[in-house]
Amino acid sequence: MPVVLARIDDRLIHGQVTVGWSEQLHPDRILLANNAIAADPWQKKVYASTVPPGIQVSILPVAKAAACLVDPENSEERILLLTGTPEEMAELVRIGIPVNEVNVGGLHFSAGKREMLPFVYVDRQDLKAFARLLEMGTNLSAQQVPGGREHPLDQTQIQQMGEYF
Amino acid sequence: MIRALVITHGDIGRELVRVTEMILGPTEGLTAMTNMAKSANAITDEIRDWLESAPETGAEPDQKLILLDDFGGSCATSAQLACGNDPDAAIIAGVNLAMLLGFVTWRDTGDFRELVAKTVQKGREAIVQVGGR
Repeated sequence: MPVVLARIDDRLIHGQVTVGWSEQLHPDRILLANNAIAADPWQKKVYASTVPPGIQVSILPVAKAAACLVDPENSEERILLLTGTPEEMAELVRIGIPVNEVNVGGLHFSAGKREMLPFVYVDRQDLKAFARLLEMGTNLSAQQVPGGREHPLDQTQIQQMGEYF
Repeated sequence: MIRALVITHGDIGRELVRVTEMILGPTEGLTAMTNMAKSANAITDEIRDWLESAPETGAEPDQKLILLDDFGGSCATSAQLACGNDPDAAIIAGVNLAMLLGFVTWRDTGDFRELVAKTVQKGREAIVQVGGR
């Protein structure tokens, strides 16, 4: 399953994904890997209802999403993969999903987080997951929308950011 | 009194509320909220706070209308998650000025479901081609 975009975004399925990126990349399916939402039929229904017609949607627990993505039996569908946290994305990459680059699309402010970029607020756990992704050979780039400025993230930046905690 | 919360991207909601008050005068129970710089959870929590912030109205039910700029975005998802099965809440997407003017004008007359339906109808009627070919 070719992953046309692997994105970390704590708003999950929303306009930047369903309109912004989907209009550019034309995914066949949006795959949201999220344990809590996959386990809650009501939340699942609400998130799935926001995907425009013409794009399939799957909301799966992280382990099951990884299994689907690494299964060679699966079709050639173009997948837009989403997680709400860097940790979940690092877990997917650890399991071996076919992804070389991860898009950091939006991590908003919440208590205990600090600003790395105007749309990327992180805590220690996020930074650890970013570092793990880089160690596994994944490129990290922060970019909200297609055509927006790209901010490549490297170990030095992550270490420097870590000094604030 | 039926309360309304206008939730939008950017400052659209704040401006819609400001212009509504510019036309109809200061209006109670009409609140704007933005999703700007907020996570999905933060938006949902803020909506829940508003839903629970009912003024003391005695026996009157606290009925709440949420108006959104766009179906399919974080505002719409969070509004649905925050409202759950609340029988005294309704959510409409596609807010425009005519809808807010209608809502404020009609909200003290008739019942809540009717008001919601009339507000949707008003919004649709306000979208017309007024010139050009």
